[in-house]
Amino acid sequence: MDQLPDFWRTEVFHPLSVHLPIALLLVATFFKIVSLWKSGETWNKGGSILLFIGVVGAWISVYTGNLADGIVSRNLCDPTVLKDHENSSLIMAWLFTIAFLLEAAYSFLRRGWLNHLVVALMIAGSGFLVYTGHLGATLVYQQAAGVYVPSDDCEEFE
Amino acid sequence: MKRIAKIIPAFLMLFLFAACESTDVVESGTYSGTVDEVEADKTEIYVKTDDGKTLELYFTDETSLTIAGEEVDFSMLEEGMSVEVEIEKVGKRLDPISVKIIE
Repeated sequence: MDQLPDFWRTEVFHPLSVHLPIALLLVATFFKIVSLWKSGETWNKGGSILLFIGVVGAWISVYTGNLADGIVSRNLCDPTVLKDHENSSLIMAWLFTIAFLLEAAYSFLRRGWLNHLVVALMIAGSGFLVYTGHLGATLVYQQAAGVYVPSDDCEEFE
Repeated sequence: MKRIAKIIPAFLMLFLFAACESTDVVESGTYSGTVDEVEADKTEIYVKTDDGKTLELYFTDETSLTIAGEEVDFSMLEEGMSVEVEIEKVGKRLDPISVKIIE
């Protein structure tokens, strides 16, 4: 008789950790774009705080993704999608990290172009974020990456 | 300052794309090349073949690793070693059947 595997498997920590930074980084980008036209602390500072938490979350997701990679790769029919997912996620994480560092530099230097560069990097990062998410969803829904597939008779649930 | 504003994005894009790894998918068969990278915690190796392709190989329970016909542990693998790998292509996944260390 098949046994239902433990839910808290190593590969499960990746989907558990990715959704918060996805939401935070996209909202942070929106806040920062709005702050170019609207003055006020809410858009600018709010965007900065969301960016910081999102960057930390992004690197945690990269770490958990690396852990999951070693487990799910052996069962995928097309691991090249996983490689693209990995590459895209690293580009995304670095774009937002550099945007955060330049944001910190902007608070000291106060150069207008630096602020525009931060927003440009965040928009580019959001593009890679959406693409990374799309590839991640492809891995799960088309190749069952990290997914336990129940037996035909569902015996393990009895 | 404006020159820096132009240089930073160009430098960034170069840095980011250089950091990416790309791998190739090949047909089932035997290939010789050099171990480009070893990821011991994942029992995974990257092999650069003699014709310039990069193969990402995850060892399975069935993969045999040998030196001069003797079965050896995964920890023996090091970057720069010459190897001959027999691969089975499953979908677009490359399963290593055997890895022979030639040194």
